[in-house]
Amino acid sequence: MQQGGGSETEVTWEDQQNINKFGRLNNRFHELEDEIKIAKETNENLEDASNELILADEEVVRFQIGEVFAHVPKEEVETRIEQMKEVTSKNLEKLEEEKDSVLAQMAELKKILYGKFGDSINLEED
Amino acid sequence: MASSSSSTTERRGIPGAQFVQDVETYLTQSGLDVNSALSFLQERLQQYKLVEMKLLAQQRDLQAKIPDIEKCLDVVGTLQAKKGTGEALITDFEVSEGIYSRAHIEDADSVCLWLGANVMLEYSCEEATALLQKNLDNAKASLEVLVADLQFLRDQVTITQVTIARVYNWDVHQRRMRQASSTSTDS
Repeated sequence: MQQGGGSETEVTWEDQQNINKFGRLNNRFHELEDEIKIAKETNENLEDASNELILADEEVVRFQIGEVFAHVPKEEVETRIEQMKEVTSKNLEKLEEEKDSVLAQMAELKKILYGKFGDSINLEED
Repeated sequence: MASSSSSTTERRGIPGAQFVQDVETYLTQSGLDVNSALSFLQERLQQYKLVEMKLLAQQRDLQAKIPDIEKCLDVVGTLQAKKGTGEALITDFEVSEGIYSRAHIEDADSVCLWLGANVMLEYSCEEATALLQKNLDNAKASLEVLVADLQFLRDQVTITQVTIARVYNWDVHQRRMRQASSTSTDS
């Protein structure tokens, strides 16, 4: 968000607010990217776990709850993992949706700000 | 619009950045020359950055605390679910790093919660759940406030950065005009 070039274009409070908004969205965008990465990893881990469970012979498996490994029947673990998968997938979906909306809003603000300031403003990542 | 621009309120001790409508008026009003105005703004920016680091550390702490509480709730929930089934909950738990032992937990009516400050208190499962849930809600609420604080702070950082750029550009522009007028009178 560095401005260079001439000071001919007047910056109004409205412009400033748009720049602020853009800054916020950009921050949120990076947060979302991290959150999505984590959610995807969790999802993959759960997927791996349920695949391993199918292959496992044991009737009772150790299932981590908090800091301890509880001995839980295989079927129960299966349902619990399914539930966890559902929660994380829904969460992931929500995050992806938010990311799309953030990106759309950023594109809109870019249009406005570049339209007014042209080369005097830089809204791209380094 | 102009009146709202000067509404530089503060938020939890963070002073708001003043939006500069017109650089020249700003400089004459504040009685600063370009260099002292720039150094004042730079100093402000540094202070904002310092507060940002502090808030980010708090945010990280809270973000770590929330899953911890959720884990605790999960365990208490498991104990409660087992209660009354007649079955014992068998768990492998870590005694020391890398060393595990096995525990049979039969009909646990209560759990002990570590309250901090070297205090541990025994609670019934219901009470423990309620307390943990309250802690979880509090942590989430604090996180929300903290995120709003951070957003406010970042807005002030952006305003200050833009102001610095504008004061600087105004100065460059001013110099150029002076140079242009002096060369034109020379010739």
